Amino acid sequence: MSRSRITLAAVAAVAAMVVAPAAASAKPIITLSGSTSVAPLTSKLFPAFLASSLGKGKVSFKQYQGGSDVGISDVSAGRVTIGNSSRDLKSSDSGGLTWNKIARDALCVAVNKSNGASNLTTAQVQAIFSGSTRSWSDIPGSGKTGSINLYVRTAASGTQDAFLKLFMGSSTVSNSAAQKASNGLIQSSVKSDPNGIGYVSFDFVGGIKPLQYQGVACTLTNAKSGAYSAVRNFWMVTRGAPTGITSTFIRWVQTSTAAKKIVAAGWVPLV
Amino acid sequence: MPQSSAARSERRAERSLGALSSLVLVLITAMCLFVLLKAWPSFSHNGPMWFGWGGNVDDQLAAIFNSPANPAKWDYTIRTWPILYATALLTIVSVAIGIVVSTLAAVFIVEFAPPSVKRVVSPVVRLLAAVPSVIYGLIGILVLVPFVGNHLIGDGRKNSVTFVVQLSGASLGVAVVILTLMITPIMIAIIADALRAVPNGWKEGALALGANRWRVMWTVVVRSARPAIIAAAVIAAARAIGEGIMLAMVSGSVGFAPNPLDGITFVFEPLRPYAATIVDNAEGLSVKPFGQTIYAMAAVLLFASLMLSLGGTLAKRPLRKYGVRL
Repeated sequence: MSRSRITLAAVAAVAAMVVAPAAASAKPIITLSGSTSVAPLTSKLFPAFLASSLGKGKVSFKQYQGGSDVGISDVSAGRVTIGNSSRDLKSSDSGGLTWNKIARDALCVAVNKSNGASNLTTAQVQAIFSGSTRSWSDIPGSGKTGSINLYVRTAASGTQDAFLKLFMGSSTVSNSAAQKASNGLIQSSVKSDPNGIGYVSFDFVGGIKPLQYQGVACTLTNAKSGAYSAVRNFWMVTRGAPTGITSTFIRWVQTSTAAKKIVAAGWVPLV
Repeated sequence: MPQSSAARSERRAERSLGALSSLVLVLITAMCLFVLLKAWPSFSHNGPMWFGWGGNVDDQLAAIFNSPANPAKWDYTIRTWPILYATALLTIVSVAIGIVVSTLAAVFIVEFAPPSVKRVVSPVVRLLAAVPSVIYGLIGILVLVPFVGNHLIGDGRKNSVTFVVQLSGASLGVAVVILTLMITPIMIAIIADALRAVPNGWKEGALALGANRWRVMWTVVVRSARPAIIAAAVIAAARAIGEGIMLAMVSGSVGFAPNPLDGITFVFEPLRPYAATIVDNAEGLSVKPFGQTIYAMAAVLLFASLMLSLGGTLAKRPLRKYGVRL
């Protein structure tokens, strides 16, 4: 009697364990991977979407990071539903992808706090980063005479790609520049090097001095108003046009006031 | 003959342990094959010139990353000499310094230190050997690199080479100092073990013949522990060669080959070894030709560490003759 009851309980427990995940997986899961610059934004968007009437109880999210290129290759191979990218479409990206723009992000050129310079023109930025201007004495107002130390990102970085497009025009970055693997490493290098200059996403200007570019300060307000021009795009990339709940989610991110409010807190919302 | 159940279970344990250890072998072989397969296109496109020089290695990496979509037009051209040179330079210099320092330290700990010092120093050395490399990297980037860049390298020196390379503090010198600091504790631990394992009778014999302690140490103890010193060097070299995170933080992250002819400036020049290149560029692995190039660097490291561990085993062999096991 007691033994059969125990058996019954065990069977019930096992059944519950098997059924519970099955019930959970009935709810669709949107998986994301990709850009580490986009991830902080999307992880703020998930709970808001789940709290809204569109998403409540209908979906769950799983996010992995790894860099823009990881996201794009994951989504084109069908490993995730959405690939996050902080760089624009490249000729080598596989076809059949839909690029959904979700927000924009300001890119600041920044120097050490001891640097007196406050503004750089396009020509100056290009001369400095391409290596044709090598001394701070050639930059009026810097109050320095030493050589310029460049801190850039590695070729594989989405931020590097955006910098080349937004600031460099047809010139390339000098190959004597130190190549760092993340925004944070650029920030800490420029912070500790009085002669350093680098570029970071707007999130990472703490402890260093973001410069005006073409006379406009690198602030969120200026980026939102369109006065500051060095602004890049954040994308959610899908294989083909998004469908079902994924499409609902992306449209919610792009158009709803709730999502716009979250974006506006630290990034530049779409117009 | 009926077997006792104890013998049976012993046999079973033996068999499952055997299966486990052969699984490790299979895993290692599979890993080597995987890396080699991934790396092959990069090697086959460049041939031996993969290790050669010409052009700028960072420009080449960027070109590979920006290869066009068509696989037939993928760019593979790379000449990794500056990176190979950086790897070898860092490893050889820091192991060479490490050997001298660690042998002296081990001799002191085993033979000359008073017991109270011994009790403190031995565990501390083992603790140091276990400190994760990223912590050394943080100390480097937050303390040493700014100190060297702002106080040891003058503006004159920076300006003199500004059209070739930038001196920001992250440099060969800092990398060697921290790398040596990282590998010395392991070497001290290994060499001290070997010195302790030298039979007491040998020492006593030499002392009885009238040699003083110092002389006994050099002519008998250190001499017979020579294979262990070589083994320690090999193990330290294996760790130094594969160190990525710390070196990515302090070595300057430029594919540049420091030139000894530059005098003192040589010490302040930046460089970037294979492991740090892999760490820095992992973000681009998904671009096929770029990923294959990075895997090729991994294959070189894998081969080097296999050779080193083989060398280490061979170096320790002579000690077994005397019944000393490490």
